Amino acid sequence: MKTPLIKNQGFVQIAAPIAVGVIFLLLWELIVRALGIAPYILPDPVAIFEALVDNWGVLFHALWVTLTVTFFAFAISVVLGVACSLLFIQSKWIEVSFFPYAILMQVTPIVAIAPLIIIWINDTTWALVVCAVIMAIFPVISNTTLGLRSVDPNLLNMFRMYRASRWQELVRLRIPGALPYFFGGLRISSGLALIGAVVAEFVAGTGGAKAGLAYMILQSSYNLQIPKMFAALFLITATGILLFALMVWLSNLALRNWHDSAVKTEN
Amino acid sequence: MTMIREFSGTTMDITERVSNREDVDVSNKVAPTGDKRSRRPVIQARNVDKVYGNGTTALKDATIDIKQGEFVSLLGPSGCGKSTLLRIMAGLGEASRGTIKWWEQDYDVVGEKGRKLAFVFQNATLMPWAKVRGNVRLPLDLEKYVAGDVDKRVEQALDMVGLSRFADAYPRELSGGMQMRASIARALVTQPNLLLMDEPFGALDEMTRNKLNDDVLRLWQENGWTIVFVTHSVYEAVYLSSRVVVMAARPGRIVEDIIIDEPFPRHSDFRVSQSFAQYCKQVSFALEKASAMGQEGKV
Repeated sequence: MKTPLIKNQGFVQIAAPIAVGVIFLLLWELIVRALGIAPYILPDPVAIFEALVDNWGVLFHALWVTLTVTFFAFAISVVLGVACSLLFIQSKWIEVSFFPYAILMQVTPIVAIAPLIIIWINDTTWALVVCAVIMAIFPVISNTTLGLRSVDPNLLNMFRMYRASRWQELVRLRIPGALPYFFGGLRISSGLALIGAVVAEFVAGTGGAKAGLAYMILQSSYNLQIPKMFAALFLITATGILLFALMVWLSNLALRNWHDSAVKTEN
Repeated sequence: MTMIREFSGTTMDITERVSNREDVDVSNKVAPTGDKRSRRPVIQARNVDKVYGNGTTALKDATIDIKQGEFVSLLGPSGCGKSTLLRIMAGLGEASRGTIKWWEQDYDVVGEKGRKLAFVFQNATLMPWAKVRGNVRLPLDLEKYVAGDVDKRVEQALDMVGLSRFADAYPRELSGGMQMRASIARALVTQPNLLLMDEPFGALDEMTRNKLNDDVLRLWQENGWTIVFVTHSVYEAVYLSSRVVVMAARPGRIVEDIIIDEPFPRHSDFRVSQSFAQYCKQVSFALEKASAMGQEGKV
């Protein structure tokens, strides 16, 4: 018997948030029109869409710049974060000695240190990447370290009973077991890499060929091009959602056979 | 030998214990699996204490011999140190005091022959990310077993527990009983002489448990292993064992050692026999006594 579309889990997962979004946009449009709100205060969704189409060339270039910074920052965060986690689990002493400094990066406001980083690093793009890495690296370190440590003690006992080497213990037990935690970290980190890139762009205020979406927002606000500003904001949000969706997809791909978070179950 | 002479004598003399029983006349019987005196000791624990860092004494003065081919159950209330003793036997924990020998040798020596020993945990303890086949062959991979018969041994182990058809399934696709079978297959793949089982069927339903009990008994007989089996169940202990060692809590210690002098193979008809009932009564009585000792804190 064919399952009704409304009971299809995959369909509902996509359709439900889209329906909420459409209703929200419709209400927005209606309220703006009904109350006659000026476009430089709050533009309606149609005006934002028009601004997006009209400025597509400039906005797409800005998006590309922001995405480049985000991608490099995210990649570096993953590599460095995993390396730190692997180091931390080698010894409790190492973890205790260095973990507070990883927390330090997490709690230091990026807007406070971005100017310093931009002064220290001549290349603006790399300065932005460093700022974004500082934002994005902590969830990778924290989650991966937790995952590498959260090994079933009985499995660990069994590995030791069969005299597994540290390498075998790492590759065959700790790393596979840490994957769900690692992917959880990636979901958070990917969004933070984007936020870090945008915040750093705000601080750097880079224009010209290296102008990212943050600069577009700044410039549009100065020129009272509020619909264009919203269009840039929409691109940042959409990018964040796409990055998150990509991480969910990757996670499901890696864990689909065995982990509860990714296995499709039938009741 | 020196160590044997130093033995303090706290172990039960089995013949004496069995003779003390009121309901079963076993005074002239030999152990079900052959003459114990001629069989080589697999494990010799002498005056073993285990005190944890927080000062809790999990085990006090435990002395026990496990001989080749025996099926010994450790039975007792929660916290009596059954699992602790088993883990010490497996080399998974160290004794705070006392000595323990495997095949009359120290751990350093026996470590090189580690394949002789396998452990089945309370839970199946399978790697969820690996298929059943991968889980079963894990001990061989870890020991870098290089002979060309790895696949054959894995197939044999799976066949022994009736899981050949599920070799390519993931653990989550199996029932609790099947997961436990996979765990047993993983223990068997190294062809151990000594199998240590820590309440392996405690979480299973009655029917599955009985079926697995029969499977373990069959494998034990076919392969001539020595098994030490921790359980909470009097019925399971009596059905499976050639010896039931009863332990008391606070501190954990051995208080009774009872021979179940019934022939093998045992089948379901044994469960409804008069002698089974008598043994269960005797073991239950010993367990009650052990529980009372634990509550009173008597040593």
